[in-house]
Amino acid sequence: MPRSHGNHSHSDAAKMEQIITEFYTKSLHIILESRTPYVSSRNFSGEQIMSMSLSSPSSSSSSASASASASAASSVRPRPRDKWFNLALRGYPGGMENLDLWHHSNPEPMVVDVVLVPLDWDPTPNFSPTREEIVIERWVLQYDHTRKVKDNHSSGSSRRSGNTTLHNLYKKSMLLLRSLYLTVRLLPAYKVFRDLNSSAQLRTFSLAYHVSSVIEPFPRSAEAEMQRFGFTPIDTSAGRLCLSVLYRSSVLDLSSEPTPLTPQVIPDYVGSPLAEPLKRFPSLPQVGLGNHGSPSSLPFSRRHSWGFDLYRASSPSVSFSPSPSPTHSESNASISNPVSRRFPPTSLPPHPPGTSIAYKNTTSFDEYCPSPTFSPSPSPSPPIYIPGTHLSKGLLRSESAPVNIPTTRLSSLPALSNKQYLPPSPPIKNTRSGTLRTDKFTGPIQTGAAVEQLFSLGKDDNRKYFGPKISSNDSPQISFSRSSSRSLPDDFDDPEFDCPFDVDDVDMTDPGSRPGSFDQKGHISQDAAVGDLVRMLKKAPPLRPEFSNSVNVPQASGSEIWSSSIQEPCPAAQNAVSTSVTSSGPGRSKTTADALEELQGYREMKTLLLKQGSKSYT
Amino acid sequence: MNCEVCQLKDLEVEHFEIREVLRCILHTIVFHRALGLVRPKDVDLELFDVTYVQCGDVELEKKIDEKIEHFISWVEKHPNKKSQICLSFYEVKNKQPYWFTNKIERLYWEQWYINLNVAQHPKAHSSKSHNSKVVVDPGEEERIARRAAVEASLREVLFQIIKFVNEKKDHVPPIPNGDGVVYFPHEITIPSSSDSAFGMDMIKRMLQTGHPTMLS
Repeated sequence: MPRSHGNHSHSDAAKMEQIITEFYTKSLHIILESRTPYVSSRNFSGEQIMSMSLSSPSSSSSSASASASASAASSVRPRPRDKWFNLALRGYPGGMENLDLWHHSNPEPMVVDVVLVPLDWDPTPNFSPTREEIVIERWVLQYDHTRKVKDNHSSGSSRRSGNTTLHNLYKKSMLLLRSLYLTVRLLPAYKVFRDLNSSAQLRTFSLAYHVSSVIEPFPRSAEAEMQRFGFTPIDTSAGRLCLSVLYRSSVLDLSSEPTPLTPQVIPDYVGSPLAEPLKRFPSLPQVGLGNHGSPSSLPFSRRHSWGFDLYRASSPSVSFSPSPSPTHSESNASISNPVSRRFPPTSLPPHPPGTSIAYKNTTSFDEYCPSPTFSPSPSPSPPIYIPGTHLSKGLLRSESAPVNIPTTRLSSLPALSNKQYLPPSPPIKNTRSGTLRTDKFTGPIQTGAAVEQLFSLGKDDNRKYFGPKISSNDSPQISFSRSSSRSLPDDFDDPEFDCPFDVDDVDMTDPGSRPGSFDQKGHISQDAAVGDLVRMLKKAPPLRPEFSNSVNVPQASGSEIWSSSIQEPCPAAQNAVSTSVTSSGPGRSKTTADALEELQGYREMKTLLLKQGSKSYT
Repeated sequence: MNCEVCQLKDLEVEHFEIREVLRCILHTIVFHRALGLVRPKDVDLELFDVTYVQCGDVELEKKIDEKIEHFISWVEKHPNKKSQICLSFYEVKNKQPYWFTNKIERLYWEQWYINLNVAQHPKAHSSKSHNSKVVVDPGEEERIARRAAVEASLREVLFQIIKFVNEKKDHVPPIPNGDGVVYFPHEITIPSSSDSAFGMDMIKRMLQTGHPTMLS
């Protein structure tokens, strides 16, 4: 295992750090894997990716690569990350790799809140205020430096004893992770997760998670509801690794109780005595995002506050909805395959962890690619002991859109050239951390920014590879956001457009007031006169029955088609309007002519009468 | 080498539940002791709302199932209430070739005792309660309550395993090298073969538990 060889170039302390870093990653993975619907060992990750990318029509190019890599990913070959703690996990929850989980200079705890989020099917999920979320689990992983254990083995500084200490640490963390793996499945929240995964029906709630480094206190009442399970800490020579979980034992009552289906957002929902199940948590812990303007699609959002305080990256986390976000994020994840694909350091010999520091720049890229999961990894990648996320310092923790963007195009490039153009990691991290706060929420804008950033990066590095890269990024990404933003309005066309035409309909009964028809005629004075006349005539009761019929028919048919429930004067949709207008065209010309004829007829009659009268008088 | 012993809480089960309950417990224990590269496999119990984890190793699964079948047939033959299954982990040491023996010795370092109380009415209920969810007969509610109780105690046992695994780590031998699912050598002892063997095991256990917490 990692420490078993090559202990010359690496100090034991560094190796220990590496183990702890990996421990953070692995434990987060274990937790999220069993709390994030669709990304779990219960599902075949390959299928899931494919279905996800299929559901986003615009990402056809990327979905091709995704499916290809997904099928390859189903092979049983252990991936580098799997080797850690000898625990092979299936899907990496997207974006997880970006977390800068732990660093010796950043000894903050990792706090993972698993929250139950009511889902309402708001057409604009991203920007409407959220409803309450309920923290059902809080995992806290902490490496406590203050609790140092003076152990005799390492102070003796004999290589052998140090090595056994490391062995011990590794073994213990392995055991801890295994029991974590099982515990996660025994806690009540797992049932919610399982329900979400298994049932095809839409739920009124979903699971999401927030990862942060700050333990935001629960209201006392809420904390009283929680039970605690503490794993036995692992003592190392430099500190103590503590993992514990606070969980609600009553999760099931909450989730099985369907939240009211009213689409309105009730601000003081929790306090409402009507909401029985929620009443138990009178002051909801608004941990994480709180309430202010955070999206109702909280399942899609997650905050990483490693270093940044309230910064939110969209997350692939949990979404149970056909709404665009999941496909978006999912395809992002799949897109990144090629990225990860170029990292397998084929040219590098399988190196012991001792030497791995030399490759940090390269291997650290793996961190933000969900690589082991999806990537077919064309070159047999040796068990690389990825130095871990601590390399990325506090900077990189965003969703990986920009780096992921280089998608299909890149994958077609030969691996060598890929490697060449790779910029050293720090700059990329800078750009990423700079741009990526909310990449998925504001898709196009962020993409633009990211592309710019990438481009400026390219100036420093190998520009010739950036040209194609940008162009290839650009399109899929933009089409993503477009499709996601487009699809919703399309769906909601009918209800939205009904109303405007209610108003329009009033106008239609008075076509003469329509500026279009009137103004055009107004140019020529004679026509204007005729128009006036026509308008007069139209306002008047119909001269002939056929006239009114001709106008009404399209209206009737229109309303039938669009919404039969709507009352008669509300024929609704654009089609109806346009048809009625156009049909009123011929109708109008006909009536004008008719009117003139009739007028002339009247005139003739009048003159006749006058003549006759004058004749009689005379 | 110290031998840690974990006596799991008694479980009141009915005959038809033995298989699932034992599978769940045995696999859970072995999962914690399979320190080779493991690709965990989630398994949902059918009778209970419990998910446990297997190592995803067919051979092991077969072995465990076999033992469980043995145990079930033993229970049928000996309808006495209490029965015990022991899962022991050991290391193989070549004993110093002294005297005339060159014997392979098993050094037990951990033993798990699963205690089952099998309810008396073996098969009468099994078919009934399998598909009696729709029909509500008088005993139905009671049965549901009983099953919930079994589920709760099963969870308790699983947590007991987790806690034990967490608290006692020092006695676990170093991780064996090798590819694939690597377990520590282990054996599952059921009272089946003969009572004397089981008694031997008890004696052995008593001997070994003399100083259980020396290292921890």
